[in-house]
Amino acid sequence: MQKRTDLIVCEECDAVYQRMALGEREIARCLRCGAELERDTGRRLQHLLPLTIGALILFVIANTFPIVTIELQGLSSQTTLIGAVVALTRDGMSEVALLVLATTLLFPLIQLGVLLYLLLPGARDRRPPGFVLLLRLMQAARPWGMIEVFMLGVLVALIKLSNMAEVIPGPALWSFGGLTVLLTVVVSFNPRYLWHLWEQQQAEQYGDKGTGA
Amino acid sequence: MTPPDHSDDKPALLQPRRARQRNWLPSLVWLIPIVAAIVGLTLVAKILVERGPVVTVSFRSAEGLEAGKTKVKYKDVEIGQVQSLKLAADRSHVLVGIQLNQDASGFNAEDTRFWVVRPRIAASGISGLGTLLSGAYIGADAGASEETKKNFVGLEQPPIVTRDASGRQFVLHTDDLGSLDIGSPIFYRRIKVGQVVAYDLDSDGRGVTLRIFVNAPYDKFVTQASRFWHASGFDMELNASGFKLHTQALSTVVLGGIAFRDRDEEQVSSPAKEGAEYALVEDESAAMKEPDGVPQTALLYFDQSLRGLQPGATVDFRGVVLGEVKSIGVQYDKARGEFRMPVLVQIYPDRLGRRFHEETGEQRRSNAQLLRMLVKRGMRAQLRNGNLLTGQLYVAIDFFPKAKPAQIDPDKVPLELPTIPGSLDELQQQLSDIAGKLSKVPFDEIGRDLQTTLKTLNKTLTTAEQTAARINNDIAPEMQAAMKDARKTLNAAERTLSDDAPLQSDIRQTMQELGKAAASIRILTDYLQQHPESLIRGKQEP
Amino acid sequence: MSLFNRQAASHTPDITQEPDEDLPVQDAASLGVIGCHHCGTVWEGAQPHQACGVCHAPLHVRRIDSLTRTWALLIAACIMYIPANMMPVMVTSTLFDEQRDTILSGVIYFWTSGEWGLALVVFVASFLVPLFKLVALGILVFSARRRSRWRRLQRAKLYRVVEAIGRWSMLDVFVVSVLTGLVKIHGFANIHAGIGIAAFGAVVVLTMLASLAFDPRLIWDERAIDPNAEVSREPLPEPVSPNDNANTPQETA
Repeated sequence: MQKRTDLIVCEECDAVYQRMALGEREIARCLRCGAELERDTGRRLQHLLPLTIGALILFVIANTFPIVTIELQGLSSQTTLIGAVVALTRDGMSEVALLVLATTLLFPLIQLGVLLYLLLPGARDRRPPGFVLLLRLMQAARPWGMIEVFMLGVLVALIKLSNMAEVIPGPALWSFGGLTVLLTVVVSFNPRYLWHLWEQQQAEQYGDKGTGA
Repeated sequence: MTPPDHSDDKPALLQPRRARQRNWLPSLVWLIPIVAAIVGLTLVAKILVERGPVVTVSFRSAEGLEAGKTKVKYKDVEIGQVQSLKLAADRSHVLVGIQLNQDASGFNAEDTRFWVVRPRIAASGISGLGTLLSGAYIGADAGASEETKKNFVGLEQPPIVTRDASGRQFVLHTDDLGSLDIGSPIFYRRIKVGQVVAYDLDSDGRGVTLRIFVNAPYDKFVTQASRFWHASGFDMELNASGFKLHTQALSTVVLGGIAFRDRDEEQVSSPAKEGAEYALVEDESAAMKEPDGVPQTALLYFDQSLRGLQPGATVDFRGVVLGEVKSIGVQYDKARGEFRMPVLVQIYPDRLGRRFHEETGEQRRSNAQLLRMLVKRGMRAQLRNGNLLTGQLYVAIDFFPKAKPAQIDPDKVPLELPTIPGSLDELQQQLSDIAGKLSKVPFDEIGRDLQTTLKTLNKTLTTAEQTAARINNDIAPEMQAAMKDARKTLNAAERTLSDDAPLQSDIRQTMQELGKAAASIRILTDYLQQHPESLIRGKQEP
Repeated sequence: MSLFNRQAASHTPDITQEPDEDLPVQDAASLGVIGCHHCGTVWEGAQPHQACGVCHAPLHVRRIDSLTRTWALLIAACIMYIPANMMPVMVTSTLFDEQRDTILSGVIYFWTSGEWGLALVVFVASFLVPLFKLVALGILVFSARRRSRWRRLQRAKLYRVVEAIGRWSMLDVFVVSVLTGLVKIHGFANIHAGIGIAAFGAVVVLTMLASLAFDPRLIWDERAIDPNAEVSREPLPEPVSPNDNANTPQETA
């Protein structure tokens, strides 16, 4: 098989187009179905690493401190994300606990971790080991990270609780808020451009040769 | 948006030269992780700085304690938290790891005490009910020592007196504990001012030593002249003096209690020192009575029936209790050939002596001289009817100027006091006198004429006189005495049952409070029945 | 290269042009090229299941058994949808009573206590969205199976919407988890999750898997394309006429 870098195929309707060089912040769209074909990443790649690190730090904070404390008649109770998962397991709902753990801890962590690993300087001149597998893993995990939904869920739960008890937000709540914002930015970066990042550099370094089938 | 669909048969365009733009934006983006890192580190640092020392306390059981949740409180302020629960190596107790806050660093002083606050029912009352809902917590009492310790042994019961309670400890000695226990209240003028802290059997087994603690500022009312007595429950007395009912407070019915007061309230005494020792006696009257001095045993011989006289009956002098009857016996006097009833009494002549001495103002004489003088004046012992209700007799010592002269031998042991027959005997004497006198009247000389008429008249008159005499001397005083007693009893009963009697007011107050409490509980349960969710959701706004 | 010379040069592309579903374009299947799903690289003459040279993902001209898989997952999700709404998702135990909440009773609770915004949010996220997803995916599968040309652009947009909002139905699962973890005051108030939430989580997962399994290119396909068929190494001999899209002969063996 032969690589055709001059072509681009619409993922949603399979239409074939000529691949154009995009100007700054330009988006190429399919003529037939309007799906996004390609976009100019611009400086977003450079922003990605600090945002990833920031997101990871916030992630750690959000999981080590309690999200919220409630007080009722002098009794108080607080929980972290992991605490909620443990409580679900103890109640016998271990499948739901696993689901929550995966969507709010595991998959976002995979995404952030892989990005960090791949973007850290030192991996510039060649692909870091495991690049292919890790990037595939990250792409698989991408639709399953649901921290922003979790954030909204926490807010709904807090409003529900504020009727019956006094609700005191903990440090993790703000961390989750910030994490939601950062993650949205990080995740919106389509990892397919990472594939081409290294390709470009490989091409620049070793001369242009298509990989034979 | 550039639709990239067009033919490529246009001439190739020149490629513009691409220069690298200098981006200051990336460095701005790096601000985000830096800020996040700073926030995280600040949070961690705050936690670390707020941490105080770590101590380990051992308890017999960890019931109600949860690692990471149970708090340690002092005066209801949280000063730390339980971090870990572990079994000791020998499994005899539980090691509770406690992380104290920074501002509670004084709590690892060597003499700090820790205990678990759980719902508890003790002699002093029910405590810790709030923990039924909130879960147990650990209470602490700060120590004052300079040295610190890391491992403590927890108390199994909350201490009665915390270190910061001000007041003084005193020591009481008593025969038996009665209904007292640790925590039993101490009353002063019916106000609870302290409690029993500890008690112990004496080493010789003959008594009990109690340690009590009286709170400030009431501890200054414990003076050198204070007397302590058992104020437990009801104090009922039914004896020759009448019917008496005492109680300090209804709580003492359940818990027992001790009350104290100065013996002589006119005089101001200095406050007692810490650790002063006192005797704890049975009741208030026992506490308040004057010192008896040396008791004296005396023997009394009565020639009449002793029915109604019991050991313990009072020996009374014109209303002042001089002593008591110790024992009654029967003796056969061979010399005289008759039965005698010796009654052994114990009297405290000091009581008499002091009064007498105060009244007459004479110089203090020796006992012997005193006795001889008194007997010469007519002091005799007599049996009298004490109580209509019980038919008790008591021994009365009084002055009878008309009594037959008697001798008293002050050196005889036991001392024998002269007695005088009771009123019944006197009556017999008088009757025989009258009969003698009557028989001396020269009926023959007055006239044979009147003899037949006067014989019948005389006979009638004699019988009438006899009856009248009997009524006067025999029944009347008795009835008088009986009515006096009845009045006394009725007075006492009236006092007890009158409206402002202390028992009444206590009962009434308690009933009122119970009624109030029941009313408010009813309101609460009514509301909760209708709105069970209000417990969680709070009262709904209408 | 000459293949593309004859593209509709009469089109003068407008920058803000609306997508036109009837635009005659060449699709990759007919041209024998495959765009890698993961990295976007376009390969010509690739055999089925061959690994992409850049990312080593298997190349398929269409997703394998897309309709069958989507259909199966959809039915499973529909089955789980019933217990998800009928069984209680959350059980609140207080000192006096025990209250079981289903998804709808939670919405009603918010509504009656005056929190209309929250009632709306929970209603939309936990009731409407899953229902919408089930119906939408049903429509997509059904219409793709019949290869209908009805409103293809709308259907394509429908698919995008389904993909985008899929994750938001997890809202109630997170609400219940947070409440379960938080309200554990022994003897006073205790919340634990009910069976309904496990079923609900299953519905969300299944619908997400179903939408991932669905190949949106099937909306636009006018003929059945077998992803397992061998692709000829040569490009098609004849250029495809723009007007002949309806009945063009297909792959050569």
